[in-house]
Amino acid sequence: MSGPLVQILEGNTFVVSDERGDIESSLTDPTGLFSFDTRFLSHWVLTVNGQRLNALSTDDLQYFQARFFLVPGSGSVYVDSKLTVIRQREVADGFNEELRVLNHENEPVALKIRMDAASDFADLFEVKDALKKKGSYRARVADRHLVLAYQRQTYVRETWISSSAPCDIDEKGLSFSITVPAHGEWKTALEIAVSGGPAAGATEGPGRIRGQRRVRRDMGRGLEKWLQAAPRLECDWEPLGQIYRRSLTDLAALRFSTLTMPGRALPAAGLPWFMTIFGRDSIFTSLQALPFVPELAATTLRALAERQGTRIDDFRDEDPGRILHEMRYGELTAFEERPHSPYFGNADATPLYVVLLDEYERWTGDTKLVRDLEHAARAALNWIDEYADLQDNGYVSYQRRNAKTGLENQCWKDSWDSISYASGDLPGYPRATCELQGYAYDAKMRGARLARLVWHDPAFADRLEKEAADLKRRFNREFWVEDGDYFAVALDCDGRQVDSLTSNIGHLLWSGIVDKSKARAVARHLMSSRMFSGWGVRTMAEGEARYNPIGYHVGTVWPFDNSFIAWGLRRYGFKEEAACVVAGIMEAAEMFKGRLPEAFGGYPRNTTRYPVQYPTACSPQAWSTGAPLLLLRAGLGLEPHGDNLIVDPALPQRMGNLELLDLPGRWKRIDSFGRGRIDTDRITLR
Amino acid sequence: MPKGRAGSVAAAADPITQFFASLDAPGHLETFEGESAKLRFDVHDGRKVERWHVSITRGDVAVSHSSDPADATVRIERPYLESMVTGRLNAQAAYLRGLFACEGSVGALMMFQRCLPGPPGSTGRVAPIPSKTVMAQRGVK
Repeated sequence: MSGPLVQILEGNTFVVSDERGDIESSLTDPTGLFSFDTRFLSHWVLTVNGQRLNALSTDDLQYFQARFFLVPGSGSVYVDSKLTVIRQREVADGFNEELRVLNHENEPVALKIRMDAASDFADLFEVKDALKKKGSYRARVADRHLVLAYQRQTYVRETWISSSAPCDIDEKGLSFSITVPAHGEWKTALEIAVSGGPAAGATEGPGRIRGQRRVRRDMGRGLEKWLQAAPRLECDWEPLGQIYRRSLTDLAALRFSTLTMPGRALPAAGLPWFMTIFGRDSIFTSLQALPFVPELAATTLRALAERQGTRIDDFRDEDPGRILHEMRYGELTAFEERPHSPYFGNADATPLYVVLLDEYERWTGDTKLVRDLEHAARAALNWIDEYADLQDNGYVSYQRRNAKTGLENQCWKDSWDSISYASGDLPGYPRATCELQGYAYDAKMRGARLARLVWHDPAFADRLEKEAADLKRRFNREFWVEDGDYFAVALDCDGRQVDSLTSNIGHLLWSGIVDKSKARAVARHLMSSRMFSGWGVRTMAEGEARYNPIGYHVGTVWPFDNSFIAWGLRRYGFKEEAACVVAGIMEAAEMFKGRLPEAFGGYPRNTTRYPVQYPTACSPQAWSTGAPLLLLRAGLGLEPHGDNLIVDPALPQRMGNLELLDLPGRWKRIDSFGRGRIDTDRITLR
Repeated sequence: MPKGRAGSVAAAADPITQFFASLDAPGHLETFEGESAKLRFDVHDGRKVERWHVSITRGDVAVSHSSDPADATVRIERPYLESMVTGRLNAQAAYLRGLFACEGSVGALMMFQRCLPGPPGSTGRVAPIPSKTVMAQRGVK
C-alpha cells in the first residue's frame, strides 16, 4: 500500500483505495469496494505498458467522488512523463470510473493498458476478525463483462465489470491496446456493478444497476441543496464556520437509506465499518442534529419502529419492544454465524427511542408521527419494565443471552473493561449502569407528556409519572456514593455500587434524574482536574485503577459524550461549566480541521498542546459529526417552549458574536443570536 | 380459518396452516397498527404450489388462498417456510442467504417477518455471572 487511503461513499456502498486509485487488499486490509457489508472488489490495479502509476495529486471532489492524476512509473525519482492518466471515480451501486489517457507528445503513441480485477467477497466481519471463507470462487466472461462470482450453497454474490471502449476481457481483468493521437486523448468508462444481496430483488446482473444509476446523477446537487437548507451560521471566531460546514457535509455523507424507505435518510454510525443502522448511534445523532435537520429524526424513528423487536430470541438478544442495536447484510449474518439480522443487544436505545420521539415533537410539532408511532413507543416503554428489569429491582440491567457473539457491555461504553470498580475489579452480570436509569426516567417523563398531549391517555401518563418519580427517588439514594459525592457508574449483580467516577454522571444531568441538591456536586466533579482535561470531560476520572488516557472508554475524551454533558449542564443551569465544554471541544475540532474524531487522548491539555487522536477510531463518525451541532445548541441555550424557541446564550468569550439563522421548527424559521461573554480560561483554572 | 378451506386433522397438524390461521383468527395484530401491506406466499412442494395471501390494513389481518397480486410475492420451498413459521429459521437471514426469492417490496417482507415466532428454546433469561468469573475469564486477578 502506498500513501494515504482515499475513501468515497454513498449510502452503504463505499470504495477505499490508495492515492493512485488502486486497490490491493488482503483479508485483513480494509481497502476495496464494499456494498451491503460485503467486499465486491479486493484487487483493482491499473498499469500502462506493464508499469504501475505514480500519483501526482488526488482530489476528493465530493464525498462520493474522487479524481486521481497519475503518470507512469513509480518510485521516488523525478518524473518527466509524456503521458497523464486521470481516473475519476464515483460511487453508485458499485462504482463508475472514467479512465483518460492524455498524450503530450507530437507523435501518436501506442499503449497497452491493463486493469487487473479480483474479489475475495469478504464479509466486513471477516475483514475485521481475519476469518477464512467457506464458499467457492469463479470468474467468467459473459456478455462483454468480466463477472467475478462467489457461491456458498444458495448464497451468491457477483461483481460485473464492463468498459465502454473496446477491450479484451479475460478472467483476471481488462486489456486495452490503444493508440493515442499526438496531443490527443483516449478514454473509457468502466462500470463496476454489484449483484446479489438484499437490494438486488428478482433481477440480477447489470441491467438493474443501469436503471438505478440515473438516480445517483443528482448527488452533487443534493449536497448543495442539503447545505443550503441548513441554518446559516455567522461567527466572529472563524474556525466555527469550517467546523459547522464540515459537520453538515459529513452528516450528508453519513446519510443512509434503508431498503424499506428509499429516498429518506437516517444517519448511519460511521465510516467505513459502520455504514448501517445502529439504534443507539442513529438516535444520538438524530438528537444532536434535531435543531438543524429534523427530518433525520423522523426517518430514524420510523426505520427503528419497522424493525422493533417482537419476540424472545436469545441468539439475537431480542425481546418484544426492544430497539435494535445493529443491522448487517453480509455472509456471516446470512448464515447465522453472527446475530445481526438484526442484533438487539443494547439496553439504551429503547428508552432513548421515546426520548427522541418526544424531543422531535417539541421541535417540530409533528403530532402525526407521534400518533403513527404510538404502538412502537408504548412497546418501548413496556420493554423497560417487562424485559429490562433483569434483577427485579426496578432498574434497567443488561446481560447478554448470546454468550458467543453477543455484546458484553450493552451501553455506549461497550468495550470489555469500561465498567469497573474504582479498584479496577470487574463487576459480574447483570449490570445496571447509571445512565440507563437516567434514560429510563426521561423516557417515562416524556412518554407521559406524549400520552397526555397526543395519545389522550391521561391514566397512562399518571402511571408513567408516578413510576418515574419513584425511580428517581430510589436512584438518588441507591446509586449515590456517599463518601465521594457522585453517582456510581453501576449497580452490580448483587446490588452493590460499582464505584468508579466516570463521565456517565454527565448523562444523568441530561436526563434530569439527578436531585437538585446533588447536581452541584456532579457538575463540580465534571469540571475537576480529574475529569476535565482542558479539551473535554474524560470517560473515566484520573486516579481510578483502570484510568488510561488512551484507553478506549477508560480515559479518552469523546466529543459525542461531551456534547450531551454540555446539554446536561445547561439543563441544571450550569451555564459557565457548559461553556467550558463547548470551548474545549470546539477548539479541539479546530485542531482536527473541523472533523472531530470518535475519541482523543485524555492527556491534560497543558502537557500535549494538541489533542491526540485515539489510534483506531473510525472517521467520520456520526455522533462526533453531530457533536458540534449539539454544542451550538447548548452554547446558545436553544430550548423549544410551546410554539416558541427560547434563546439563552452562554458562549465562550473567544467566539465573539454568533448568529444562527433560519432554525427550522414548529415556528417555521427563526433566528438566534449570542455573544461570547464567558471567560472559559478563568473557569477552567478555578 | 382462511376462506374456502375446510379444517381437517391433517391441515391442523400442518405448521404453515396453523401459523396463518393464528394470524387470521384474531384478525388484528397490534404490532401492525401503523402498517398496511399485502403479501403472497407461493409455497412450492414438489410440483404443487400452495398460495397464501395475507392482507394487512392498519393492523387488521385477513388471510386467504387468493392469487391476487401483492406488494411482495415470496417464492419459497415448503420446508423453509415450515422452519420460518416455527421459529427455527430467521426470515432475514434466510433472505440474505438466498433461500427464497421476494419480488416487489422488501419492506413489506421485513414488516411481515416480525410476526414470526422466536426460536424454540429461547427463554429470555440466563443465569447471573459473578464478578470473580468475569475476572477469571479476562485473566484479571
